[in-house]
Amino acid sequence: MSDDRARLLDPHFVSKLARLDLRARLVVEGFLTGLHRSPYHGFSVEFAEHRQYMPGDPLRHLDWKVLAKSDRKYLKQYQEETNLRAHLLVDTSASMGYGSRGISKLDYARQLAASLAYLVLGQHDAVGLFAFAAGRGEQIPARSTMGHMRPLLLLLDRIRPAGGTDFTASLHALAERITRRGLVVILSDLLDEPEKIKQAIHHFRHRRHEVLVFHILDPQEVAFDFEREAVYVDVEGGERVSTRPRELRDDYRARVREWRERLRSICIEKRADYVALTTDIPYDRALLEYLGKRSRLL
Amino acid sequence: MPILSFLNPGFLWALPVASIPLLLHLLSRRKLPEVPFPMTTFLRALEPREIRRIRLREILLLILRTLALLLLVFAFARPALTPADAVTHAAVAVGLLLDDSESMAAIEEHGHARIAEAKARASALIEASRAGDVIAVAYATRGEAPARERGDDRVRLRRALERVDAAPRPARIAASLASLRRSLERSPLSAREIYVVSDFQRSNWDADARAEIGRAAAAGTRVYLVPVAAVNLPNHAFEAIDPDVRPGPEGRGLELRARLVNHADAPSDRIAIRLRDGDALIGGGDVSLRAGERRWAAMPMEPRRGGDSSAASTHVTAEMDADALPTDDVWYGVLGPPRRLRVLRIVEARGGSPPRFAALALDPTGTGATGFAVQDESPAALLTLNRARADVVLLEDVAALSGDAETRLRAFLRDGGGLVVALGPHSDPDYYGRRLFPGMIDLSLQSAEQAGQGGGLELRARIAAHPILEGLTVAVGAPLSQARLTGLVRGAVTSPRAEVVVQTSGGLPVVVAAPRVAVFLSSLADDWGELPYSGAYVPLVRGLVSHAARAESSAPAELVVGLPPRARLESAPAGAIRVRGPADYVSAATVESEGTGYRAVALDAAQAPGFYEFDADGRPLATVAVNLDPIESDLAAIPADSIRAAAATSQRVTLLESAAALQRHLRASRRGEELWLPLLLAGALLLVGELLLASATKLRA
Repeated sequence: MSDDRARLLDPHFVSKLARLDLRARLVVEGFLTGLHRSPYHGFSVEFAEHRQYMPGDPLRHLDWKVLAKSDRKYLKQYQEETNLRAHLLVDTSASMGYGSRGISKLDYARQLAASLAYLVLGQHDAVGLFAFAAGRGEQIPARSTMGHMRPLLLLLDRIRPAGGTDFTASLHALAERITRRGLVVILSDLLDEPEKIKQAIHHFRHRRHEVLVFHILDPQEVAFDFEREAVYVDVEGGERVSTRPRELRDDYRARVREWRERLRSICIEKRADYVALTTDIPYDRALLEYLGKRSRLL
Repeated sequence: MPILSFLNPGFLWALPVASIPLLLHLLSRRKLPEVPFPMTTFLRALEPREIRRIRLREILLLILRTLALLLLVFAFARPALTPADAVTHAAVAVGLLLDDSESMAAIEEHGHARIAEAKARASALIEASRAGDVIAVAYATRGEAPARERGDDRVRLRRALERVDAAPRPARIAASLASLRRSLERSPLSAREIYVVSDFQRSNWDADARAEIGRAAAAGTRVYLVPVAAVNLPNHAFEAIDPDVRPGPEGRGLELRARLVNHADAPSDRIAIRLRDGDALIGGGDVSLRAGERRWAAMPMEPRRGGDSSAASTHVTAEMDADALPTDDVWYGVLGPPRRLRVLRIVEARGGSPPRFAALALDPTGTGATGFAVQDESPAALLTLNRARADVVLLEDVAALSGDAETRLRAFLRDGGGLVVALGPHSDPDYYGRRLFPGMIDLSLQSAEQAGQGGGLELRARIAAHPILEGLTVAVGAPLSQARLTGLVRGAVTSPRAEVVVQTSGGLPVVVAAPRVAVFLSSLADDWGELPYSGAYVPLVRGLVSHAARAESSAPAELVVGLPPRARLESAPAGAIRVRGPADYVSAATVESEGTGYRAVALDAAQAPGFYEFDADGRPLATVAVNLDPIESDLAAIPADSIRAAAATSQRVTLLESAAALQRHLRASRRGEELWLPLLLAGALLLVGELLLASATKLRA
């Protein structure tokens, strides 16, 4: 991958761009460009095939560009008919606002969600968005038109970290609400009881949804590289722990590893996909995971 | 229960310093930064175990630091533990008995005199005194009321101590202790101590001295015995010079007799003796002494006046090689003109000439050249006996004496004459034992006894160092010669005043001596054995006669340093008598009659050994020699066990065997057992422990 493309996929670089839509486009284009030159072929990245216009077909599906170029009338074959519906679930709890290196987990999730939405819509798939925290959530139903990016981006731009992470009630409600089978993409730090998360995933799976979990953590939450003795204050509950990081570091890391393995095991058990991410990992990995999932589904 | 006190209590104001670690700990905890962190749940899950470990380590470090500071502050405050009954907190009346007798001049193996060591220990005691303490210092040679000094006048006490030196006098321990004890008992202070700093010479530390220790302890005084003699030093010394000078062997020159003693466990070989008259060397010789031997030794002498028998007295200074105690290696003697001993030999004619073995032994040539002039007489000659005629009467195998003769003989003895009785086959044991000997010599006689057929009575020395045996080199129990007696008169001494000098191998007395009297319980002829033919005969006979002619003591007890000099005068002096002596000694003297003459006694005691001259109106009357008391020559101390036994009689008597023991005692009793060093070490150890624990924490991190 060239330096420019690597930069487009680097969360820290991307985060410096002012507009979310621009950032999403750059990420996806950078990703796709790299993908063409990678051994990862086989993904269908073109639009769905055209079919000739027949009188009576809705004109809104007419491919005007083709008409302008070739003076032929063709209808775009939208994914909505044959492709999946992706539902992006973004955790907006207060803990997602934590970032030790200039980019918070929510920023990372926001950018990833925007990139995923752009990628999905570019493939004529439908994408919806659900931003949730404990006791609240905002939803944008899935649509497959590129114009759907705007409300998605507006919501993504607007969301702020607040509230607790006890979001499983919101997920259960959402599972009930989504009637059509699709792909549920969860972007969260999953700071909740693993059993509740398991139940939520199970609910989606019971509804015959596919689940892809992006477990987003800050590097400091994984490494705990603090040096000074300090009072560590929980960003959601306000719990205070005074400790010396040196004394706990090894045990803490072991516990985090165990926790992640537990979540991975839960996802495997429920036949969901689990991707462990930290905010310093470039977005292409996440996008690649999505595409892999999509290809397995179709 | 010991009492804790502080010698530098001002440092206790620094105790709050020990709170610094706690304050720093509290301050550091307050200033912890707050860090938002979403995963505190994981930290809380770990916390109980880790935090407990962290807090335990923090608490331990806090304790170590606080304790270390506390210990350091206490160490600087100089805590001291004292026994509850110590004198630390009370003024104390201290009696210091310093032994300044002649033996304290002995040089120890380390090269310092005992008196120097004693003064050092006394100085330590003075330095340890505090304001309010009363110190009384007594000197063992004085036996007088001790000087009383205030405890805060240490300067004056120290100066007085610096002037002290070993005196040429013997110690009077019992009297000095008694005086010191009474002085302390008059003190209003309830706490009283006596320190006895001495070499504990066995000749000084008699039963009376030990009894005084017990009296002091019984009166509530704590007594501390401070010995300064490290080892028993060997020492040889003069003890006397015979003032009678006799012609030398073979009649050539003169011969001086000196009594020497070897106070040592090893022999002293070839002790060189030098005889001087002023600066002139007039004689001398080498003497070898066995371990512990005391004997008379004769050595040749040529007086400056050419040995003229009519010359006036000779002032002789005898010197020997200096040893551990140099002061007793010099002896002063005033020798009379050389003279022959006039021996009146009383024998009985029994048909034929009586044997003359004894006469020939004394004066073989009949010229008196040997120093003995012998005149043979019958018992009737005793009726005109007087001191002008003879010096010694020799009764040889005389059966008995008439009453008048006996009376004259007793008067002769009273006038200073001497008597030798040689028994024999004709002697009446009953007469001698019941009539003549009583009042002369405490000797009872039984019957004559003959040795068995073919046997003989071997003569053995019982008192080998007795002057009678001076001419013989024998050891105690050794035979005098191979000659044996075939008969003797069985006798027994009836009091210690009579000494058995020679006895048979069976324990029968053969030679018995008393002052001015010697008895030979056998025959000096060959009718009771072959003794006259032995080599021991001549020295034995001469020894018997010389002993009888000698005064009771060749070193009158009164002619010693510390007592007024005395002199015998033949006539009453005209005018006041003045006595002059060494070290600018000048004294008047009194005169008293004594026998047929007079005795002049100085008013002041002699302070130094040497010659003291008596004169009246410038006319010399007499010169006497004053010497050091020989009792101080035996430097051996009483056994350490005896000292400890004296200490063990009472809990109030303590032995402080060394300078270090004295220092420890003074520290403990005056200032208490100081604890600063163990506290300092403990504090340092705690700091090392804190350092190691803190470093281990960092390494682990």
